[in-house]
Amino acid sequence: MILEQLINGITLGSIYAIVALGYTLVFGVLDILNMAHGEIFMFGAFMGVLVTNTLKLPLIVAFLVAIGVTAILGFLLETLALRPLRGKKGVSHLAPLISTIGVSIFLENLAHHFFGAGNHPFRTSFSEMSFQIGTVTVYAVQIVIFVIAVLLMVGLSFWLSKTKAGKALRACAESLEAASILGVNTKKMITTTVIIASVMGGIAGVLVGMAFNSVSPQMGLSMGLKGLAIIILGGMGNVKGAMAGGLILGLAETLVVVFGESGYRDAIAFALIIIILLVRPQGLFGKASEARR
Amino acid sequence: MRKFSKGLISLVAVSSLLGITACGGGGTSSEPAGGEKPAAETAASGDTVNVNVGVVSILTGSGAGYGEAITNGLKLANKEITEQGKVKLNLLIEDSAGKQEQALSSAQKLMNSDNVSAIIGPTLSTEMNVVGPEADMNGVPIIGTSTTAQGIPQIGDYVFRNSIPESMAIPASIDAAVKAYDVKKVAIIYGNDDVFTKSGFDTMKAVAEEKGLEITTIEEFQKGQADYNAQLTKIKGTNPDLILASALYNEGAVIMSQARKMGITAPFVGGNGFNSPEVIKIAGEAAEGLIVATPWFGDKQDEKVQAFVEKYTAEYGKAPDQFAAQAYDALYVLADAVERAGSDDRDAIRDALAETKGFKGILGEMSFDEEGDIVMDPTVLTIKDGKFQLFQ
Amino acid sequence: MLAELINPYYLQVLSFILINIILGVSIYITLSTGQLSLGHAGFMGIGAYASAILTLDYHMPLVVGIVVGAILAGIVGLCIGIPTLRLQGVYLAIATLGFGEVIRVLFINLEGLTKGAVGISSIPHIGRELVKGLQDFGFKASMIGLKNNQLISLSVFLLLLIITLLIIAFFIRQTNSRVGRAFAAIKMDERAAEAMGVNITYYKVLAFAQGAMVAGFAGALFAHVTAYISPADFSYHRAVEILIFAIFGGSEVIWGPIFGAAFLTAMPEILREVNEYRYMIYGVLLVVMMAFRPQGLIDTQMIYKLKQRRKKKGVS
Repeated sequence: MILEQLINGITLGSIYAIVALGYTLVFGVLDILNMAHGEIFMFGAFMGVLVTNTLKLPLIVAFLVAIGVTAILGFLLETLALRPLRGKKGVSHLAPLISTIGVSIFLENLAHHFFGAGNHPFRTSFSEMSFQIGTVTVYAVQIVIFVIAVLLMVGLSFWLSKTKAGKALRACAESLEAASILGVNTKKMITTTVIIASVMGGIAGVLVGMAFNSVSPQMGLSMGLKGLAIIILGGMGNVKGAMAGGLILGLAETLVVVFGESGYRDAIAFALIIIILLVRPQGLFGKASEARR
Repeated sequence: MRKFSKGLISLVAVSSLLGITACGGGGTSSEPAGGEKPAAETAASGDTVNVNVGVVSILTGSGAGYGEAITNGLKLANKEITEQGKVKLNLLIEDSAGKQEQALSSAQKLMNSDNVSAIIGPTLSTEMNVVGPEADMNGVPIIGTSTTAQGIPQIGDYVFRNSIPESMAIPASIDAAVKAYDVKKVAIIYGNDDVFTKSGFDTMKAVAEEKGLEITTIEEFQKGQADYNAQLTKIKGTNPDLILASALYNEGAVIMSQARKMGITAPFVGGNGFNSPEVIKIAGEAAEGLIVATPWFGDKQDEKVQAFVEKYTAEYGKAPDQFAAQAYDALYVLADAVERAGSDDRDAIRDALAETKGFKGILGEMSFDEEGDIVMDPTVLTIKDGKFQLFQ
Repeated sequence: MLAELINPYYLQVLSFILINIILGVSIYITLSTGQLSLGHAGFMGIGAYASAILTLDYHMPLVVGIVVGAILAGIVGLCIGIPTLRLQGVYLAIATLGFGEVIRVLFINLEGLTKGAVGISSIPHIGRELVKGLQDFGFKASMIGLKNNQLISLSVFLLLLIITLLIIAFFIRQTNSRVGRAFAAIKMDERAAEAMGVNITYYKVLAFAQGAMVAGFAGALFAHVTAYISPADFSYHRAVEILIFAIFGGSEVIWGPIFGAAFLTAMPEILREVNEYRYMIYGVLLVVMMAFRPQGLIDTQMIYKLKQRRKKKGVS
């Protein structure tokens, strides 16, 4: 039984991690907490429902459509809500936070309007596939989710540290002005970052739909807040921290249920936020200098 | 803040007194506008009583689906009542958006600006908790058609409801399930941050204890959760004969789908909020084995019921659910009371409502007890072969 | 005459506007030192629950309940304010967001005290208690040509109006005092303020606790006006709504959040069709305000111009 619970926890944690990767990428480069990330994730999930259930197309199309739509949402987010604030004199550092909260409210209610308040089923034959290891049933979806999470993390780390674009991106993270003087097209880099982050959210959305057979407009908020907790836990802008933080939160939430306090399951993430911010504001894997901003 | 509180009450009392008496003294002391000035009575032609009925319902926002069913049910009933010509009811519909503040404002508008003689609604128990006391204080009879939480009719003498409370539905369905499956051990799962599911859970736990069933585990979940695997794995480990799930159909359907996938085969008993055709839509085959008690069964072999289903479907293009049916019956109960009261006087209508006994509607035979709560026998249904059927 | 004008419906809407104005002021105070709090729904909830429990379970008078509720929220604000001081900007916002949600989960789970998700009903109503008190003095609504429910709504409204005016007056005075100037200095540039000898720890915690206390006060009033509260009333959405009052109206001068709260509360009542799109509009509003007028509709310049114009008129 405990083994099954561990698998449950790792599955949940992997999804959290993918969501958190998107957050941490945007924060690392732009120093912005993208509060709309959860809602973009939710739109990704709805695209999955639309494609597999309504249009009856194969799962791979669902992924492609979700990636496409969330990429567009990311682009719009950057051009409409973030770019106008950048470089403007007298704009407080809180402005992008508030602006993305606005986008999140808008997207949540837009989904409400289009899809209704209810849960939407997400049925694919793939999510039924399972095999037996001893007494434990493992679903193919669970493995796929874990593998995708690891791949995304490794890929992102590699891309950031080894490729030219990644280096340019890190230069932007250090200082936008300096990077632009050195010949980096910062505007393009920023747009790319937001789009990649959004696409990660979209992928996570489809995966959640597959794993839990439940998609609703409210899922963005709860997942978004969890993602927030994770990047604070793992250290803002830290890719490996996001992965570890996701797994920690997923396992912690599952263990709370195992030990019979399921009523407090949702509170863990928020309690973690407070404790980490007070005790170790730079996060578990962050460097001390990153703390005060 | 201490500064403000000091002598605050006396200050206000004095100032409001001064302000009002100063103006009031000069003016006439005729009957105020917010009264029972029988505007409708004069308009009434012949013997038919003409009564304004306020409706507070969710027309916008996330609960708009419920409000739509309710107002449709009411409009259909009103059309028929008007055709029958014994009484004439003018429905005045206001939006509450599912929020307490707005429900209260809307009810105030109906009671004071529109001078209604009775109110139907609001939709949610949370809203009723705010609107009920105000209506009761103003002496306006109010009938909840979908407010199932504990303590609603107990708000006051003017508060009624014709929706069966969880305390009536859940024992009926648990009874039936225990008999049919020889249940000894039950597991409970419920949403702990929602009024309806929490209230349903309290009843479930009480009933299970009363029947001497062993409760293997109690699991909670929160709104917006997508992953119930942890809770369900734990439930599976305790191997219950029956699972009591106090969840709204949205979450409940997902819970069943994840449970069946995990290999949990035990039947589920749900509360009022779990009873919806949507469960089948969302969970598909996994919904098989859900047992609910409901006042409303659309496939009932009853002339009245079938006529209603037919008319409703023709008018609104979809089959009526329990919210539409309960609203439909509520207006008939009210019309019946108005007819017996023979006037649009709020107190007379209240007294007539309280005397309602053995009224035959599409939900069955219903009466109000002395608290204003409904008395009737719910029907126990189960999902089998992809649709709701009578539970045998 | 007068009696006809007193419609409980309008008074009800006005009462909610006043409560929201108090909430708007509460976030304004915190913002006036440059601190963004997403935990005001939590403080509001503490005030509401404390007062409801005190008056209902311990039969305290309403005044005691409300004042204790506000003070308790203030104390919690103090306890949160001190350790979170070293957090800045975004980090503070997130910490307070976490705090608000933890408070909500506690309301849900501490069933013995809060009745969980079912919420607390039949909380003593300010108006009803007040009118009952008046009746004990031998005063009846009919004596001034009013009906009982009119008098109740009227007394609630007048009481809230007086309270709101006192709060606004207090904070206008504070803004023009030493404290207010210290707040403004901290908002402009914390380091410079510190260099000039402003005790930033003291003033930042003061602003945070004051904001929490006023929010708790509004929460307590809310509990006694609706007579029913549940944890869902104090969710993240409420915190964002409070923030929007200040962002839309403006957070530079106290008139900003007051205008924001009044306008945004009245809007769905006047334009019922707006209701359907209310939150979408809120969302767009936040984005547009940040892009084009981050200081809000009403800013210091506008107030200055208004004053100038009034002066000119006075001269000519």
